[in-house]
Amino acid sequence: MKEYKFTGIILLMLLSGLTSCRKYLDVVPDNVATIDNAFTMRSQAEKYLFTCYSYLQRDGDPEQDPAMLGGDELWENDENGGIYKNIAKGLQNVVNPYAENMDYIYRALRDCNIFLENIGKVPDLKDAERRRWIAEVKFLKAYDHFCLLKKYGPIPLVKENLPVNADANQVKVFRAPVDSCFNYITSLLDEAIPGLPLTIDNPTRELGRVTQLIALTFKAKILVTAASPLFNGNSDQQSLKNHDGTQLFSQTVSKAKWDSAAAACKRAIDMADDLGMKLYYYQPAFQQFQLSDTIMTQLNIRNAITEKWNSEIIWGNTMMNTSYLQELLTPFLDSRYLDETVTKGLYSPTLKIAEMYYSSNGVPISEDKTWNYSARYALRKATDDYKKYIRNGATTAGLNFDREPRFYADMGFDTGIWYGQGNYDDSQDQSLFALAAKFKEPQGVGKPGYGTVTGYYVKKLVHYQNVIAQTSYSTSGYPWPTLRLADLYLLYAEALNESAGPTDEVHRYLDLIRKRAGLLSVKDSWTQFSTNPGKFTTQNGMREIIHQERLIEMAFEAQRFWDLRRWKEAAKELNTTVMGWDVNQTSAAGYYVPKKIFNQSFGVKDYFWPIKDYNITVNSNLVQNIGW
Amino acid sequence: MTNYVLHFINLTYMHNTYSECSFGMDRSMLRTFIRILRLTIILMIAILLQVGATGYGRKISLSVKETSLENVLKDIRKQSGYNILYNPNLLKETRLISLEVHNVSLEFALQKCFEGQPVTYVIEKQTIIVKSRSAPAAVSNEDVASLKITVTGTIRDSAGILSGVTVLVKGTTTGTKSDQNGRFVIDVPNDNAILVFSFVSYLTLEVPVKGRNVINVVLLPDTKGMDEVVLVAFGVQKKTDMVGSVTTIKTSDLKVPSSNLTTALAGRAAGIIAYQRSGEPGQDNADFFVRGVTTFGYKTSPLILIDGIELTTKDLARLQPDDISSFSIMKDATATALYGARGANGVILVTTKQGKVGRANLSLRMENSISAPTKNVELADPVTYMKMSNEAVLTRTPLGEVVGGGDVFYSDDKIANTKAGANPNIYPANDWKKIMFKDNTQNQRLNLNISGGGGIARYFVSGSYNKDNGIMKVDKRNNFNNNISLKSYTLRSNVTIDVTKTTEMIVRLSGNFDAYTGPIDGGAAMYTKVMRSNPVLFPAYYPLDEEHQFVKHIMFGNYDAGQYINPYAEMTKGYKDYSSSLMLAQVEIKQDLSFLTKGLSFRTMVNTNRSAYFDVSRFYNPYWYKLAGYDQTKTSYSITNINPDQGTEYLGYQEGPKNVASTFYMESMLNYNSTFGKKHHLSGLLVYMMRDNLTANAGSLQLSLPFRNLGLSGRATYAYDNRFFAEFNFGYNGSERFYKDKRWGFFPSAGLAWTISNEKFFKSLPNYVSNLRLRATYGLVGNDAIGRPEDRFFYLSNVNMNDPSRSAYFGRDFSGGEGLNGVSISRYSNPVITWETSKQKNLALELGLLNKINIIAEFYTQDRTHILMDRSSVPVTSGFSAPIKANVGEASSKGTDISIDFTQNFKNGLWFSARGNFTYASSKFKVYEEPQYKERYRSRIGNSLNQNYGYIAERLFVDDEEAANSPRQNYGVYGGGDIKYTDVNKDGQITEADIVPIGNPTTPEIVFGFGFSIGYKGFDMSAFFQGLANESFWIDVNATSPFASYVYDGEIIGGKLQNQVLKAYADNYWSEDHRNVYALWPRLSPQVNANDAQTSTWFMRDGSFLRLKQVELGYTLPRKVQTRLHSSNLRLYVNATNLLNFSKFKLWDVEMGSNGLGYPVQRVYNVGLNVSFN
Repeated sequence: MKEYKFTGIILLMLLSGLTSCRKYLDVVPDNVATIDNAFTMRSQAEKYLFTCYSYLQRDGDPEQDPAMLGGDELWENDENGGIYKNIAKGLQNVVNPYAENMDYIYRALRDCNIFLENIGKVPDLKDAERRRWIAEVKFLKAYDHFCLLKKYGPIPLVKENLPVNADANQVKVFRAPVDSCFNYITSLLDEAIPGLPLTIDNPTRELGRVTQLIALTFKAKILVTAASPLFNGNSDQQSLKNHDGTQLFSQTVSKAKWDSAAAACKRAIDMADDLGMKLYYYQPAFQQFQLSDTIMTQLNIRNAITEKWNSEIIWGNTMMNTSYLQELLTPFLDSRYLDETVTKGLYSPTLKIAEMYYSSNGVPISEDKTWNYSARYALRKATDDYKKYIRNGATTAGLNFDREPRFYADMGFDTGIWYGQGNYDDSQDQSLFALAAKFKEPQGVGKPGYGTVTGYYVKKLVHYQNVIAQTSYSTSGYPWPTLRLADLYLLYAEALNESAGPTDEVHRYLDLIRKRAGLLSVKDSWTQFSTNPGKFTTQNGMREIIHQERLIEMAFEAQRFWDLRRWKEAAKELNTTVMGWDVNQTSAAGYYVPKKIFNQSFGVKDYFWPIKDYNITVNSNLVQNIGW
Repeated sequence: MTNYVLHFINLTYMHNTYSECSFGMDRSMLRTFIRILRLTIILMIAILLQVGATGYGRKISLSVKETSLENVLKDIRKQSGYNILYNPNLLKETRLISLEVHNVSLEFALQKCFEGQPVTYVIEKQTIIVKSRSAPAAVSNEDVASLKITVTGTIRDSAGILSGVTVLVKGTTTGTKSDQNGRFVIDVPNDNAILVFSFVSYLTLEVPVKGRNVINVVLLPDTKGMDEVVLVAFGVQKKTDMVGSVTTIKTSDLKVPSSNLTTALAGRAAGIIAYQRSGEPGQDNADFFVRGVTTFGYKTSPLILIDGIELTTKDLARLQPDDISSFSIMKDATATALYGARGANGVILVTTKQGKVGRANLSLRMENSISAPTKNVELADPVTYMKMSNEAVLTRTPLGEVVGGGDVFYSDDKIANTKAGANPNIYPANDWKKIMFKDNTQNQRLNLNISGGGGIARYFVSGSYNKDNGIMKVDKRNNFNNNISLKSYTLRSNVTIDVTKTTEMIVRLSGNFDAYTGPIDGGAAMYTKVMRSNPVLFPAYYPLDEEHQFVKHIMFGNYDAGQYINPYAEMTKGYKDYSSSLMLAQVEIKQDLSFLTKGLSFRTMVNTNRSAYFDVSRFYNPYWYKLAGYDQTKTSYSITNINPDQGTEYLGYQEGPKNVASTFYMESMLNYNSTFGKKHHLSGLLVYMMRDNLTANAGSLQLSLPFRNLGLSGRATYAYDNRFFAEFNFGYNGSERFYKDKRWGFFPSAGLAWTISNEKFFKSLPNYVSNLRLRATYGLVGNDAIGRPEDRFFYLSNVNMNDPSRSAYFGRDFSGGEGLNGVSISRYSNPVITWETSKQKNLALELGLLNKINIIAEFYTQDRTHILMDRSSVPVTSGFSAPIKANVGEASSKGTDISIDFTQNFKNGLWFSARGNFTYASSKFKVYEEPQYKERYRSRIGNSLNQNYGYIAERLFVDDEEAANSPRQNYGVYGGGDIKYTDVNKDGQITEADIVPIGNPTTPEIVFGFGFSIGYKGFDMSAFFQGLANESFWIDVNATSPFASYVYDGEIIGGKLQNQVLKAYADNYWSEDHRNVYALWPRLSPQVNANDAQTSTWFMRDGSFLRLKQVELGYTLPRKVQTRLHSSNLRLYVNATNLLNFSKFKLWDVEMGSNGLGYPVQRVYNVGLNVSFN
C-alpha cells in the first residue's frame, strides 16, 4: 500500500508540472523597452530629437573630419599616423575606404524618419514645439544628405524609411542624379525654415540648435556648392550613369545656379544683419595691458574662431568641443614645465600654406612688387621692427618676414612670437613665448610623439587664454564654427562674381573681411602693390582673388579640402609635393631648406569618395564612382 | 525495546551533564527546549530503528505449506537481507516444507528448514551458502566416478570483485553465480571437470579443477563489447539492441596524465573532432565537436550531460575518470531526439559510479608528473634582432630618418659590444624565455574512492585533488608565488537507498572547486608578453649597486620614459587568485510499478546546482630603472630611477568579477519494458523535463531573466527475435527564447536495425563472421542556442532608451551643459525566429570477425536548416543600426566514423588488443544569404563552414618597379619584397573580389587515433597514436610581424610593445641584398605592413599531424604479494603523453594552430600508482 501512495504523490507532482508548462516559458515581463516607449511622452520624444542631433559631423576633429588631414593643408608625423592622412597620401581605396561614413549617415537618416513618423503620436507635446522639432529634424535630414552628397556625389535619397521586412528588390535603391539631390535637399530646407526659431530664446540650454539663420546660411552654402564647377555641368563625370542609363551629372553649365546661390546668400546676409550679427572685433570689457595694434589685430583674427558664441558665429557645432583639438595643436610652449605632456603640437601647416598668405601689403607674395619673392628661403635676421612677430635678433627665413597679420595670427613658426598662453603683456616682447623649433629644441622634433614636421604650427584654433601648467593645460573650449559670417560673406562674393561679375557689392564684402584682417581694400592693395594691378577688374581675376582670400580666411577650418574640390582646383593643387623646413636640423642654415615630405597625386577619381566595394556587392544597383 | 531505553537513558544523561553549563539561559526555557529535543531524538531513533528492523532484523516469520525449499529460502532472503548462494541442481532432491514460525531468529528458521534435508548450510559473512551434506552415509549407492568435490573461490577483474558471474561445469548444466562478494560455491563431479566462467562484457574463461578446492580467477574484459550495456538518453540499452548511433569511451582510455579530461578525447572515439590549442593549466580545454560542425549559428558545441544535468565543458574537464561509470557520445537523431531542441550538435552523456553491494572497496590513484612544453618557439638572438630592427627602418624610410625620432636605432657600437658579450647591464641581451620560464614543472594528482554497501543502501564516495603548476619562475625576493598553481578538488558522494522493496532513492552530491594562483594576466599572457618585449634595451633587473644599496625593491629595468614592457616585472609584480566552484545536489527516485503492470517503472529526478567564481589581484607598481651613463673603458655604469612617484614597494589590490549562477532541473520518466511470447520485446519511455537557469550578474534586464526549457520526450522500441529492431523517438520541446507560437517544436526520429548474423541462414555460413548487423536511422533534432545569450529574445526589439553614445549637447557651456542621452536600437524585433533544425540520417554496419575483430562503420548526413544569420541583402542605405537576422541559413554535413578493434588472448596468458578510430566530418553551406557576387568563386555555397577566405599570394615583388606596374593592391603602402597577390577577376586591382576560398577548413575534417595494448602476467603496455588532417591554420602575421606593436583582441595593455623576431623569420626574409621572392617573411617593416598582413596563402600552413599521444607501461603486483599487502589490486605505471610529433610545421606545436605564441602544449611524463583494497 505504501508504494501506491508514494507513486501517487510522484504522479501528482508530475501532472502539476505539466499543467503549468505554458506559463513556465513566459519569462519576459511586460514593460520591456521597445521603440514605442520613445514617443509616449514629451520628455522621451525629446531624447529622440537629441538622437537625431547626435549624428552631427564632428567638424574639425582630425580623427573624424577628413578635411583636416586629408588634403595639403596640414601634415603630421608618421608615428602618430592620423588615419585620414592616408587620403592625402593617395591611399584611398575601395575595399575599406578612409572616412567612409555612409553607414553612419544612413543610420542617422533612418532615425530622422522614425522621428518624423512618430512625433505626431506624442500626446503632451505643444503644437508650436512639435512644429519646431519637425523643422529641426527636416533640417538635419537635409544636412545628412548634403554630407553624403559632397563626399560621394550623387547618392540614393532616403525620403522615407523602407520597412524592416522590405523585399530585396525594394531595398536595392539607385543613386539619384546630382540635381535631384540638390533639389531635394533645398526643398527640405524650405520646408524646415518657417518652423525654425529666429533666434534661440534660451541660450544657456539651446545654443547650437538650428535656427532660421543657420538653415538659410546652410542653404546658401549648398546652393553655392551646387553652382560650383564640380557639380555644375562637370564633364569629367559624363560617364557616370546608373545601370539604366540615367545620367548622374547634368552636362550643361547653368549660370542660373549661381544666380540663385547669390540670392540665397543675400537672403541669409540680410537676416544676419537684421539679427545684428557682424564680423568679430576684439573689444574686451576689461583690459589688463594696453595692447599694441599688431596684437589687437591678431586677436581680432584669432578670437573670431576661438571666442565661443562671438558675434559672427552663425552655427557653433556643440557636438564638436575643441578642447582636445587645442591640446593636440598647441606646441610644448613652456619649457619650465618639463613634465607637461598634454600639449603635443601635432598637425603642421605645410610650406605651401605658409606661402599662400598675402604679404603685409595684402597681395600674394609672388605678385608683390615690394616683396623679395626669390629670397624667400634666404636667411634674414629679425630687427626690432618685427619684435611682435619674430623674436628680436633671431634668424629665420625671408618667408616669415613682412606677411599679413593673418599669417602671424594663424601660425606659429621657429623664432616666431606666440602671443598668449599666460603671457599677455606685449609691451614686454621678451616675456612673450617665441618658438624654438629646430631639432631637439623645446618646440622642435626629437621627443617621440610631439612636434612639428614642417616647421609650422597652427595657432589660429588655439584660444589665446589657454594656460599651460606643470602637468596640465587648461583650455577654453569653443564649439566648432561650422558656419560663420565671414564664410557667408565670401560665399556671397564668390557667387555674385560668378553671377554678375566683379561688382562693388563683391568688393564690399571682400573688403569687410580684409579690413578685419588688417589689410587694405582689394582695389587699393592691387593697384598699389601688385604686379598685376588690374586683376580685380575682370571676372576671372576677381575669381582668383576671391578664392585666395577664402583659402586664407578659412584656413585650418576644414574648408580648403572641400573648396579645392568644389572649384575643381584640387587636380592642380594636390598634384604637388608637400614641403616643409628640414626639421631634423639644428642650425638655421640647415633648417631653413625646403624639404620634400611627400609627393601627392590627385586624379579625377579623387574628387569623390569610392563607394565601398562591399556596398556595391550588396546592392548591385549602386554604380561605383569614376576611376574606382 | 530495551535498545531504545538504553539510548534514551544515555541521552538523558548526556543533556543532564550539558545542562550544567547552560549559557545563561532561563531554566524553564531550557527545560522546555530539552523536552522538545528529547522528543525529537526519540522519534528519530524510533524511525531509524524501524527502518533498520525491516532490513537487518534477524527475526524471521514464516508461514508456508508444502513449499519448495528454494521458495522458502527466497522468502528468508527477503526478510533477512542475507544473500543466499546455492546450486539449483542441489535443491532438486529437497523435500517440500511446511512451517509456521513467528519472530524467530534466522538460525532457528534455517534449522527448521534444513531439518531432514539432503543439504545443509553455512553462513559466511552475510551469505547463506547451501551445500550437500557431506555425511558419507547419505550416499548409499555411491558411484566413485560421481564423487562430488565442492569448489569455492573468488572472481575478480582488474578493478575488483565481480558479482553475478556465471560458473558452469563444462558439458553440464550444473552451474551457479558469484555473490556480491565475488564468491562462488559449486560442486563438481570429479577432478577432471572444467569450470567455465562467463560474464557479460568479459572474456569467457575455462579452468580445469585438477583437485583444487579453491579456485580464484581473474576475468579479462571482453573488448569485443558483445552484450555490453550502453548508456543512452534517459536509460541504457544493450549494445546488441542499439539502433541509434552511440559511441562509448572506456573510462580506462580517459585516464591520461592530465587534470583535464577533455584532452583525452581526440582520437579515442569515432565521431569526435577534437584538438587542443593551449597547454596552460586551467585554460587547456580541448575544443571538441560531435561529428564536426554543421551550423554557422551560435552554439556549435555538443550538449554535455553529467548524471543527466547539463554542464559546461569546464565541468567535464574536471571530472575524474575514476568516478566515471560510463561515457557515451550520441551522434545521430535517434540517439539525441529525446533532447529535442538541444541535441542537434550531439550529446555527451556521462554517468558517475554508484555503490555496489559488498564490502567497502577502497581505491586509490596517485600520480606525479613532470611536464614541459612539447616545443618552444625559437626567437632570433639579440644581435640579429638589432640588425634587423635597423634594417626595418632603413628599408622603409631610405634616409633612415624617422621624423619625430620615435623608433630606436641601434648604434654599431651597441651591436658590436652586445655581440662581444660586454657587461649585460650596459649591453643587455635578454633571453626572456630563459629568464622567465623553467624547463619543466611537476604536477600531482590524487584520487580516492570508497564504495560498497548492503541490501538497503549502497554508496560511492570519492575525493580527488589535483595540483597543476605553471612553468614560470618565481623571484625569491618576493614573498608570494607568481607561478601558476591550480589546485582542483572534487568531492562526490552517490548514495543509493532502497526505500521500499520497489523504490530506490539515489542522492548525489558533488562539488568541484578550483583554487588558482598565478600571474595577473594568466600564463598565456606571459608568453605573449615575452613575444613583444625588446631584448636589448634593458636587463630584467639591475643588481643592487653601491648607490642603491638600501633599495628594498627589485630594480626592474626599463628604457626611455619607462613605457616599455619588461615581462619579468609583469610576471613578478604580483599575482592573481581565483576561486571557482560548482556544487550539485541531486535526488533521484526510482519506483518499480510492476504491481500495476509488469515491466512498468517510474523515475523522477530533481537537481540543483550553484556555480560561483571570483578573483582578486594583488600587485605592486614596479620601480623602473634605466641606464644613466656608462664608461666604456671601465665597464662601469650608473642607473637612475625613472618613476620615483609611480612605483610602490607595497602591494595594491584589485577585485575582479564575482559571478554566481544557479540552475534547477527536474525530470520525470515513465518506463515500460516487456517481452511477449519469447520473441517480441517491447519497451517504451516517456519523459518530462524542465530546466531553469539564473545568473546573478547578468548585466542587462533581458539577460537577467531566467533561461528555461521544457520538454516531453518519448521512445518506443521493438525487437523481434534478436534479429529485427525498430525504434521511434520524439522530443517535444519548448524554449523561452522564441515568440509564443514559435516556442514549441516536435522532433521525431526513427530507426531500424537488422542483425543478420542472428538469421538462421547465416548460421549455416562459415563462421568467421561472428557478427553482422545493419542499422539505419532518420530524424530531426533542434538547436535553440542560435544566438548569443545577449540576443535571446529575437521577438523583442532591444532598445536602449538612455544611450550616451547617441547623446547631444547644447547651450552656452555645451560641454558640461545641457545634454540628453539618446535612443538606440540594438535589435529589431522578429517574431518568426525559431530554432535550427537538423535532419540527420545515419547508416551503420557492424561487423565482427572470428570473435576477435570488431568493426563499426557509420555513414551519416545532416541537413541543418533555419540557421540564424544576418540578412546580407540589406544595403547600407536602409540605415539599420543593427543587423537584421533571420532563420534562413542552411548547411549540410556528411561524414564517416569507423572504429576497429582487435583482441587476442593466448594460452600462455599473453593478451593483445588493438584499436583504431577514424572520424571524417565535412560540412558545407547550402543556403547562405550573401550578395549576388559577380564572381562565382566568392560564394560560400558549397564550401565548408570553416573555410577560410583570402588572397592567393604568388610571391614577393622583386622590386618597387614591379610593384608599381602590377595590379594595384588596396592595402596601404607596398613595394619590392611585399606580397604580390593574384588578381583573380582580372579587373586590374586587388579588391575583395579577389578573395577566394583558401586551404582546408580551420577545424580538422579528419581526426583519428590508433593504439594497442599488450599484457603478459602482471605486465601491460600500451601506446596510442593520434592525428588529424584536412586542417589549415594561419600564422598570425600581426602577432609575429617583427618590431610591430601588436595588441591582442580584448587585451588592455599599458606600455610600448615591440614584437620579437622569430628565428625562422630571421633565417629567411626578403632583404634588399638578398631578394628572395619566396622568402618566409616579406620585406621588414617597423610597423605591421597592412598589405602583407592580409589573409592569404602566404601564411597558410597545413595543420595535419600524427603524434604519439600516449605510452604507458604498467605492472600489477602478483596476487601473493598483494595478499600480504591486503590489497586486492595494486598496479604501478609510468606513462608519457605527446612524446613524438610528426608534422611539416616546425615553428611550434602544430596542434596549437594559430595560437602558437601562447602557452605551449605540454609533454608529460608521469608515474602513477593504483591500489584498491577490498
